[in-house]
This record gives sequence, structure tokens and C-alpha cells, in this order.
Amino acid sequence: MDRVILHVDMDAFFASVEQLDNPGLRGLPVVVGSPAEQRGVVAAASYAARRFGIHSAMPMGEAVRRCPGLVIITPRRERYQEISNAVFGIFERFTPEVEPLSIDEAFLDVSGAQALFGGGEDIAQAIRRMIREEIGLTASVGVATNKFLAKIASDMHKPDGLTLVPSTREGILTFLSPLPVGRIWGVGVVLQRRLNEAGFMTIGDLQRTTLPVLDAVVGRHTAEQLLRLAYGEDARELQTESEEKSISKEHTFSRDVRELERVEKMLLELVDEVGMRLREKSRYAGTARLKVRWHNFKTITRQQVLNPACCDDFTLRAVALALLHEEGLAGRAVRLIGFGVSDLQDRPPEQLSLFGGDDVQRQKRERLSHSVDQLRRKFGPDALRHGR
Amino acid sequence: MKLRIEKSVLSAGLQAVQNVVSSRSTLPILANVLVVAKDNGIYLSTTDLDVSVRCKVEGTIDVQGSTTIPVKRLSSIVRELPDSMLSIESDEKDQTSVMSGSSYFKIVGLSADDFPSIPEADGEFSYLIDQGVFREMLRKTAYAASTDETRYNLNGVMLSFKEAKLTAVATDGRRLALAETEMEFPDASDADMILPSKAVSELMHVLKEAGNLRIYPRKNQVIFSFEGTVLASKLIEGTYPNFRQVIPSQCEERVTLEREALLTALRRASLIIADKSSATKLTFDANNLVILTMTPDVGESRETIPIKYNGKAITVAFNPDYMMDPLKNLSTDEISIELTDNLSPAVIKSDVPFLYVLMPMRVD
Repeated sequence: MDRVILHVDMDAFFASVEQLDNPGLRGLPVVVGSPAEQRGVVAAASYAARRFGIHSAMPMGEAVRRCPGLVIITPRRERYQEISNAVFGIFERFTPEVEPLSIDEAFLDVSGAQALFGGGEDIAQAIRRMIREEIGLTASVGVATNKFLAKIASDMHKPDGLTLVPSTREGILTFLSPLPVGRIWGVGVVLQRRLNEAGFMTIGDLQRTTLPVLDAVVGRHTAEQLLRLAYGEDARELQTESEEKSISKEHTFSRDVRELERVEKMLLELVDEVGMRLREKSRYAGTARLKVRWHNFKTITRQQVLNPACCDDFTLRAVALALLHEEGLAGRAVRLIGFGVSDLQDRPPEQLSLFGGDDVQRQKRERLSHSVDQLRRKFGPDALRHGR
Repeated sequence: MKLRIEKSVLSAGLQAVQNVVSSRSTLPILANVLVVAKDNGIYLSTTDLDVSVRCKVEGTIDVQGSTTIPVKRLSSIVRELPDSMLSIESDEKDQTSVMSGSSYFKIVGLSADDFPSIPEADGEFSYLIDQGVFREMLRKTAYAASTDETRYNLNGVMLSFKEAKLTAVATDGRRLALAETEMEFPDASDADMILPSKAVSELMHVLKEAGNLRIYPRKNQVIFSFEGTVLASKLIEGTYPNFRQVIPSQCEERVTLEREALLTALRRASLIIADKSSATKLTFDANNLVILTMTPDVGESRETIPIKYNGKAITVAFNPDYMMDPLKNLSTDEISIELTDNLSPAVIKSDVPFLYVLMPMRVD
């Protein structure tokens, strides 16, 4: 039987939340983000703002040039998270199979929910209605037989749209055919240009070609993947919350930083936040990853396997600093720093020692990290900081 | 120097010494074997400055003298020579000619004067023990020594001569193997020494099934002497942990098992293990031992062994490699396992004076 996958995408989420809380902003060009003097970028733009060509990730200076009357609102993350939780709560009334993509979009596998709630279209309409009536926001939904098609569909009739993708092979091919190749998941600017130069403008152009021809343009691996997607084939499973694969945090400095000490300080704060989330979920990290974006936007990641897998701040901090020091700043200025853990697993089996060794140390570190978490939960994140 | 020697005799001598060479290229002579032909015999010596070994081989000396020759090269040449009798001659430039039947080799060596001196085993006090007994004690304990260089004091076998007994102990902090034998020596000669693993493996390589072994304790050094062979080793300087303290004096339960049956079951169980940090679970229950191994994304296995047991049910997890190590190195048919609970050490014993303390793994 075909799967039924929904992609639910909140319309201009941050901006819509601001307009919900402040009705005076409705219909105005509104963006959420930090002001231009702090080198902010647009995090979300209302539909009125989008008519000026403003889109997310655009530098704020550029947005203001395009729309001098633009209303700029400083993000209120906690409020967005609160609304997001309410939206995800609605999803969970229909299925536990929810894969969050970000704070405001998710895949839902409702294949098993149809007996209770009707077909994919009925469920999509019900979800849209509940979000509108209970929260006061609009969402666009794509309904299809896989993630790739559902994601494309939700974007077709934005805002407040519902798009159904046919489930027959013929219907899928017809649905995809007129779309530009850039809509395919994984096709970025460079690949799109190369495809366009070779005469592939639409997904239909790809459907009509053969593997050897496409192979010559983009290489075997990419060609195979593109053809599969051009035919609307995508067998990826949902990655639901319960099997979260990674946790990460990053920070963009308000101005580029050259002092190692300041980068270290921020990195350690990120490590502590990641560690706390990890411990909240009672998970252990098998891999730690450092991310650095230099002033020229060149971005690197460096990772380290953790054996045994761990969850305490002491180990994570030591690994994060070691990764940073190994890379070194070498005079380069840092724009963004990030830290993440992946290969999350249950508590690894732990070899006990005869004379009081590593295991005792590790237990102490874990206990201490948990105690710090409790204090921070009670008195706020700044209640307690590690000394250096 | 000029001598005649049987190929098999020289080959056996080189076998005994050629493992003790240094890879340090700063001292090329440490890759050489020192050959000394003196009135009473032919001596082959190697050293890596920590461990030195010298053995005596039989042959006919035509001209006395000495030289050093790259040992790996000499050894592989000797192995391939056609005739059973070799004649060896070195000149004043330390070039050594080796002749055998229609074959002729010339090997460039280094002067014997530059070879580090090898300690002599003579005079003073020595312990006397049977070679076979001592080798067996090393074999039953050496595998438990730590290879972690940051725990250098555990990188060997502890030999404790005390109260008319020799106790050999090795541990890596997670398990501990101990073998004991009674000996005769004066109380004043009690001594503890940590013998580095390199010397331990050389001794296991060169010691015979039987025959006298003399052990000469020196300051920071020990010398083993047997049948024309002398092995000297530096000792590990450092404090050995108080091993007697971690041997449980009494456990709550005891079960007797066929060694071979347990070993083969564990060997099969370990086929499902993904890495060194994995555990296998042993459940001792009424007349059954169940060995359960589960590795996420790999699979699971279950082995059931009938046992005579009527104690409380205990489930305890171990690293299967650590559990197999003593079983592989014992030769008795039966072993006993003593247990208390899932977080306390287990003790494996056999009817010979041997015990093995193994810490469990904590699993959820």
C-alpha cells in the first residue's frame, strides 16, 4: 500500500506570530531579524514584505533598501517555540510519526492514521483547520506518497494552501514535469546552472533523458539520484523525534572575532547547552563536531569519535577545545562557531575497574554535570558556569 | 674471528636472540647480533638497552675474535643456505664471510667494541626455580598486563618473592591474573619486581619445558640464567597497586564449569560483538547458565550450558575477551567461578594455584 506523507509548513512563521500578537502589524511589510547595524539577516518575512522581493537569509541592509518602510522586529525565540509546541501538539493528535525539520515545518506519516481520521486530504484539512482555529495561524500542506513529493507540494500554493500529489506513476510524472530542476532536493545553484547549461530546465527534461546522457553532465552518482527524484521516487523513512540523530547549537558573533579566548568562551557555552539537552534525553554522544565559519564565509567542520560514548560537560568541553585548538585561528577572524554531537546512543556498557579508575572518574563527571543541570534549571542558565 | 658451526645450531641460537633488537635508527648497532668466539665457546648477544639476551652455541673455533652482524639479515641468510655445515670468518673491517657448500656471502657489520655491554650472571644470591614451572606462571598471567603506556607500572608482570612463595601477578586495572608456586629461599631474600612485558614474552619464547632457572635480583635489574642463556632486563620502576586488597576474600556463590564448554560458548558469543567495549550477559540460574549477547544493529546470540548450581539467580555482564583469556591459558578440565552480584568482581579459579579476578561491566 502507498504511504501517505504530509509536509506541513507554517506560512511566514516568525512574522505571522508577531502579527498574531500585534494585530496592528497585519498587512504590513514585517521582517524578523536583528537590525542592519548588527549585520543581521532576515529570519522571516511577511507576505507583504515578500512583495518587495525580501526573503529569508537576505542581509537586513539589503531588505531595508528594497522597502524603506519595513518593520523590523527582534526575534522572540521563546514565543516562537511556544507556538511551535502547540502546532506539534496538533500533529501528535493524528500520528506519533512526526519528523520535525525545523521549528515551523515537519513531515507526518499518516499511513496508519487513515482508518481513524480519513484519507490524507481529510487529515491535512483537519490539521490546517485546527491550526487556524486554535492558534490563529495558517499552514500550507503537501500530501503525497513520499517526503520528496510532499515537500515540493506544500510549497506550491503558499500561503494557506493544500496541494495533493497524485499517487499514480503517471500522475506523479505529470505533476513534476513542469517544475524547474532547482526544485529537486539537493540541487543547489551550481548544479542547477550545470543542468541548465546542458539544456535541462525542467524536471520533465530529466524525465525524458537517459542515465548515460545525464551521467556525462553530472557524474554517475548524482545522475542516478536525480533520475530517481525526477520520477518522484524517494524511499526515505521519517526520522521521528524519538530517534533523534544529533543535537547542535551555533552562534553568529555580532562582529567577527579574532581573539581565541572569546571564541573559546562562546564555544564552551554552546557545549554546555548541547550537553544539557543530551542529558535531558538520557542519551550518550558517540561523535562530537565543531563548526567554524570564517569571516569570508568559508565553513569547516571537524569531528571526533568519542569512545566510550559520553554525556558529561567535562569530556565534551575538552574535546571541543581540542578540536578548536587543532584547527587554530591562525589569524583568521571567526564569524560563527558551532558545536554538535551525533551518533546518539543509550548508556554504553561500562567496564568497572579494580582499583578505582576511569569508571569512577566518569561517574563523578556525569553526576556533577547532572547536578549543574538541576541548578541551571532552577536558577537560570547563568547560575553556574565552569571555571577555566 | 674464524669458526665452523652447524647450520641448525646457529639457526636455533639466532632464533633465541633475534627478537631483542631495537628499531631505533639512531643506534644501528642495536639491530646487530654480537658474535664472540672465545676459548670456551661461541656467544650470540642482542640488546635493545632494556632487555638483553645472550646464548651460547656449540661450534669449532679456529681463530678467536668478535664482531657484530645485522641479525635479521644473518638469520634469513643462514635459513636459506644449502649445506648443513657453515664456515664463518670476519675481518678487521667487520665484514663477515659466510660459506656453505657452493654459497658465499659477505655481510657488512659493525665493530664489537661499540656494542653495549651485557650484564653477567654470576656471584651473589639467586633464586632457583624450574624453567617449565616459571614459564607456565608467566603464560597464565602475562595476557592480563596493561598495554596502556600511561599506566607504565602495569606494563609487565609483578614477581613477588615472599614467604617461601613466588607470586606472579598481572593486571590492567579491570582484571587481574595471579599464579603462585612454592619455592625455597631465605626470608632475607624477599623481593618484589615488575618485569616488563617485553622481557616476559622473550622468556616465554626461550624457556624450556624443564631444567634449572636461576634468577639474580639486582638493583633496578634482573638477570635470568639457564643452560648457557642469559637474559637481563631492566625493571619497571614504580609502585605496583596493592593487588591482594582487590582479591575478594569470599564470594556468595560458587559454580563449577567445564572449561572447554564455557570457552567455546563465549567464543561463539563474541562473534556477535561489534567492538571491544561490548558486553555479554551471563545468567546463572537453577542448573543453567545462559550467555546472552546483544549488539544494536548487529544481532544477538544465546548459548545455554547446563551447570550444577542451586544458588540465587545472578545476571552479570562481562567483556567476553577478558573472560576467555584465562580459559585459553589454563589446561585443567574444570574451573570454578565465584560471584556475588552484578557489580562485584567475579573470581575464576582452577585446581592449580591460580586465580583471576574480573570486574563486570555495568549495563542498563
